[in-house]
Amino acid sequence: MKRIVSGNEGIFQGAIRAGASYFAGYPISPTSEILQQAAVYSEENPEFRFLQAEDEIAAAIGTISASLAGAKAFTATSGPGFTLMQEALGWGHVVEAPCVFVNSMRVGPSTGMPTQPAQSDLLQVKAGSAGDYYPIAFYPNSVEECFRLTATAFNVAEESLSPVILLADAFLSHLYEMVDLEKIDVTVVPRSKAPLGSGQRLFTGTAHDKLGNVKTNDPVVYRAWLWEVKGRHDRVAEKYPYFEYLPCKNSETLLIAFGITSRIISSLKDRFSIFRPIRIYPILEKELKEVTQSYRHIIVVEGSDGQYASWVECAICRKVMKVPCLGGGFKLKWIQSQIEECLRGVGV
Amino acid sequence: MDRSYKELLKLRRFPHTWCPGCGIGAVLKNVAMAIKELDWNYKNTVAVSGIGCSGRMSGYMNLDAVHTPHGRPLTAAETIKTVRPDLNVIVLSGDGDLGSIGGNHLLHTSRRNPNITVFCNDNEIYGLTGGQAGPTTPKGTKTLTSPRGEPYSPLRLGRILTQQPPYFYARTSVYHLNHFKTCIREALLWKGFSFVDIISDCIELNGRRLGFKTAYQMFKWFDQRFHIVEGERDHLQEDELGIAKALVEEVPKPAEKIEVKPEIPIESLKPFTLEELQQFDGSGGKPIYIAYKGKVYDLSGSLLFQGEKKMRCHIAGKDLTKDIDIAPHGEDLVFKFPLVGKIEG
Repeated sequence: MKRIVSGNEGIFQGAIRAGASYFAGYPISPTSEILQQAAVYSEENPEFRFLQAEDEIAAAIGTISASLAGAKAFTATSGPGFTLMQEALGWGHVVEAPCVFVNSMRVGPSTGMPTQPAQSDLLQVKAGSAGDYYPIAFYPNSVEECFRLTATAFNVAEESLSPVILLADAFLSHLYEMVDLEKIDVTVVPRSKAPLGSGQRLFTGTAHDKLGNVKTNDPVVYRAWLWEVKGRHDRVAEKYPYFEYLPCKNSETLLIAFGITSRIISSLKDRFSIFRPIRIYPILEKELKEVTQSYRHIIVVEGSDGQYASWVECAICRKVMKVPCLGGGFKLKWIQSQIEECLRGVGV
Repeated sequence: MDRSYKELLKLRRFPHTWCPGCGIGAVLKNVAMAIKELDWNYKNTVAVSGIGCSGRMSGYMNLDAVHTPHGRPLTAAETIKTVRPDLNVIVLSGDGDLGSIGGNHLLHTSRRNPNITVFCNDNEIYGLTGGQAGPTTPKGTKTLTSPRGEPYSPLRLGRILTQQPPYFYARTSVYHLNHFKTCIREALLWKGFSFVDIISDCIELNGRRLGFKTAYQMFKWFDQRFHIVEGERDHLQEDELGIAKALVEEVPKPAEKIEVKPEIPIESLKPFTLEELQQFDGSGGKPIYIAYKGKVYDLSGSLLFQGEKKMRCHIAGKDLTKDIDIAPHGEDLVFKFPLVGKIEG
């Protein structure tokens, strides 16, 4: 049945559909509703375990430990909480624990503007924890996609054996839309890792060889491990090259936007072509190259000071123009005036 | 002597990384012996540890072991126990890991009282990083980071963990072997959060600076500082080795009284037609009625329908069955209001 569903509920229900049986979290705007729903859901379904942790550090460690223990686990937070979770994320990548981290972005740094949306955690998602690791991240832009991509994120996690990030923003979390969740079709991948209590393995954050022996000064072992992980993540990510491309015949300008920004500028689709990356990490390098080559001007409209734009520049080896929507200012009129100013600057 | 505990140790990884004379070896061996006695094995037991010399213990156990980032073994152990209640979960860690960087988790995991057992190798120093002052370093001790003597009083783990029942806190030392074994066994059998604070030595990075020549001299020093107290205790003094434990007295819950609204038979309700219902829209001092699933409710008491402030979504005097089904709130909101009639036809 169709009913009014919020982005947060879409994410939670998507996780349940994917078979999640553990949630740990700490209250934070704008994802507290996911925590509340998990609490209520666990009361009604005792096989679903729930922990309101003492901080985000514990919530993240709990999520990864639950995954090692055999549950499909997830947690939800926002920028400042995600900062605390970085330690556990790094650990999750080394112990290869499949799970999902939801980060609904708000204006930062620090406490910033707790109720205002932003898209400024992209670099934090990519490289917030110490060392080299290769996160996979998705960013929906509607309630239905929140549901679908959360379920996808769980599948990708099982295939890549890593914590997968689902991005959202304060607008999207609190976006209410008419959706029939029961009718959305998603595939569900079974657990891919044997749970604790079925072997004599060591799950350690320290560098180790395939048998789980700690190897803290062997570059050969370390390199072999890192290339294997990187290769696996790339292979899995290749199966999910999600993006949306709305070409406009007469336009020489391509707008790149994702998440809530892409919703806001979608009314400009008759004037400009629009490219929306859904898989944020790994960057859609091949797709970006293909799409951008036929456009003279590229403008990245995003809720940060050029975080995604710099990735685009790296990917396509060209300068792009930027429209940073900062401090929660996502007004269409303002964005339009900025785009026009950009184009005037290059003589259009 | 029974050496069957050795099958719980990953002997292929030996020799271990610890210095000669270190107390951690004794902790590992005695925990392994106690686990073997209880017939726990890799199919029903998980060892969790944090960072530090003591954090390496889990890696030497022939079990599924989890080696967490610094300070987080308690959260990890609690979660594993929550997800898999059939597994026995033990934590092998140290005082710096549990008391300092994991202090917050110690407070809250002990409060939530999961059925896990924690073995804390309390050597009063950060050993792995070279001998810096830790949270349990006694006041006045000279370390790398307190060259004139540690200026602050140490953390009293015993006081923190025995603040409210239920709790199990045992303090023992690697020197008092029989007492040490008793504490381990009792802790493993305790239902709930149990914590064994094992006073241990770090001869290389703490003892030598304090003037001790051998580990044995440090053991003698423990013997002077601590004495064993027998019997059940509520609390331990700082110089006592023993077990402090307490259970919560179960207070029988008074049976909840459930108010049952007398059900009004549908025949006796006043019949309304939809046209009649439209008159009750709150105008001119009339009550506000709405229909829901064939029944009429009086919503005059609802603040959202008061006076000029009409609801934006729902219109008074109408059948709102469809509206409420798609509304973000449930139908229980309607059931709070008095039932006044039924819809005819």
